[in-house]
Amino acid sequence: MPDSRKGFSASGGAPTALGTQSIPSLLRQFAVPAIIAMTASSLYNMVDSAFLGHIPGSGGLAIAGLTICFPLMNISAALGTLVGVGASTMISVLLGQKNYASANKVLANEITLNTVVGVLFTLVTLLLMDPILRLFGASDAVLPYARDYMVIIALGNVITHLYFGLNSVIRTEGNPTLAMKLTIFTVSSNALLDYVFIFPLGMGIRGAALATILCQAMALCYSLKHFSNQERLLHFPKGRVFQLEWRIARDSLAVGMGPFLMNLASCVVVVLINNQLRIYGSDQAIAAYGIVNRVMFLFVMMVMGFNQGMQPIAGYNYGARLYSRVKSVYMRTARWATIITTAGFLIAVLIPETVVSIFTSNPELKASAAHGLTIIALVFPIVGFQMVTTNLFQCLGMVRKSIFLSLSRQLLFLLPCLYFLPAVLPNPLEGVWYSFPISDLVAAVVTGLFAIGLLRKLSALKDGESPATLGSSIQ
Amino acid sequence: MAHTIITIGRQFGSGGGRIAVAVGKKLGIPVYDNELISRAAEQSGFSKELFTRSDERRSLFTLSGFFAPWRMGQGGGSGENFIGDDAMFKIQSDVIRDIAAKGSAVLIGRCSDYILRDVPGVLSVFISAPMEYRIRQISEREGLSAEQAAALIHRKDKTRSTYYNYYTLGSWGEAAGYDLCIDSSILGVEGTADAIIAFARAAQEARP
Repeated sequence: MPDSRKGFSASGGAPTALGTQSIPSLLRQFAVPAIIAMTASSLYNMVDSAFLGHIPGSGGLAIAGLTICFPLMNISAALGTLVGVGASTMISVLLGQKNYASANKVLANEITLNTVVGVLFTLVTLLLMDPILRLFGASDAVLPYARDYMVIIALGNVITHLYFGLNSVIRTEGNPTLAMKLTIFTVSSNALLDYVFIFPLGMGIRGAALATILCQAMALCYSLKHFSNQERLLHFPKGRVFQLEWRIARDSLAVGMGPFLMNLASCVVVVLINNQLRIYGSDQAIAAYGIVNRVMFLFVMMVMGFNQGMQPIAGYNYGARLYSRVKSVYMRTARWATIITTAGFLIAVLIPETVVSIFTSNPELKASAAHGLTIIALVFPIVGFQMVTTNLFQCLGMVRKSIFLSLSRQLLFLLPCLYFLPAVLPNPLEGVWYSFPISDLVAAVVTGLFAIGLLRKLSALKDGESPATLGSSIQ
Repeated sequence: MAHTIITIGRQFGSGGGRIAVAVGKKLGIPVYDNELISRAAEQSGFSKELFTRSDERRSLFTLSGFFAPWRMGQGGGSGENFIGDDAMFKIQSDVIRDIAAKGSAVLIGRCSDYILRDVPGVLSVFISAPMEYRIRQISEREGLSAEQAAALIHRKDKTRSTYYNYYTLGSWGEAAGYDLCIDSSILGVEGTADAIIAFARAAQEARP
């Protein structure tokens, strides 16, 4: 009964459009901004790596150093989202109720909490720098590069946290365009400063780190100014609001804990990957993986952009019992995702040397990265389907399945492969590389089995019918 | 009486639900409990299952979107449009505002006092009772031992306060947050309902 919904204005204009507008146009509307944002953050990393790879005289060591630092930087980002996601969620709920005073208090508290967490990370990282980097897979040769980079990143950590935290609040307060502009600003100014610091100034890997922090600092200044404007509904209020309130801190940490743990889990995997590459290969293998990772990341992020665009559409229509629209948006997203990952596959298989030469001019590293890229991308065309289906379970509120499927690709099947394949294969390094397509393949098969069950039940439901059967038999 | 809106928050076992029904009956106005609010929301095109589901998971950990890893801030939307608990709360709030705009009503729970805090003339009531009284009520009603009843009360109150405090950033059951707080063990269901009505009438007359 889609019509009974029309008289009900309360849920606002946008959600109603979610139930009536054509799926392709909705998907365009929701997915394009998300894809741009995702691609931008991916480009950011690619640009950094590309400049580092061409530092004169460093060979692959600089890029290996950067690769060692990835998981550590991800932990830092995870800590930032731990605070940021929780605070944004609370702010969004409070803004929805026009409770501006409380929303402002949460905003101010987020700044304090982010600073505290950020400083703690900086202290721990600086004090234990070498042991951590070694644990993460740095050899004697790579360690100086990793350390040079990480010291600066660690010192600027609070800036990074606040920049990401406030950017997500800007999005929450209904200003996605500004958030996107700030992201694009940091990406482009980072590229510029990377060039200036690394080549004319010859600062090496330190220059890349400094460029990252400086650009975030500039964007952060703008965000701080944005929220200092007392005329905005959401702003830093006057008074002692920056004093940490226990319950705000507790609630926002609790809300952010899920994403934090997911991020942490993926860091553990990357640490294991790096260590296996070092044990069975060399620093060069780590550098090669760093390059491959950057390339694949771009395509994965684009699919994630599609997933984000699909979420409100699938979620709303499921809630509104318009199952045919749920299926339609799922099919369409899966098709697009498959096109994207197939493009990634074709590039990786047909012109791997050309792609990796963006990141390095060292012939040996180029060969090793191209080889790795071709293997890792072997079953990439089905990865798009796997990610979108996982997302569908999430959209329909079947969270446990969604988490299981999402962990399956990146953790559950990957870890044992990484651990055992190198031990049993005659060429252990190949075992590390082949772990990726094998776990992708297994995860896709498992996801396919889950998807068949769900789609069959979804098809059996008529629009407007209660999804009770779906929920009970599936969950 | 013209437009009368009374919100009732209550400790588990205080008889608040029955008191609300009695108030509604005596005044001849509709009483909205969780189920009716869900049903009203359902008419907006949302399935009831989503509501009942979202109602059952009220620890801070599950509220938290522990299972929403894709909310990660990095460069993407925060997924507020997604039918998660927070979106559900928003829909519920809209429904509650809709009910209040349409005419007289008694609303039970669901942070309705907070949601309607800016609507003039809304009377917010909180009903409590001593623990022994509530244990007696619950063990009779549910056929539980005193210990089981106490544990259930503790759990339910915790759930309600977590839900309320999370969404309102206020303090569930704190006297200063309500217009009227009553211990239901003193006058019983009917007596407490009469007292609330008397207070509501007096409040309406006092208003210019």
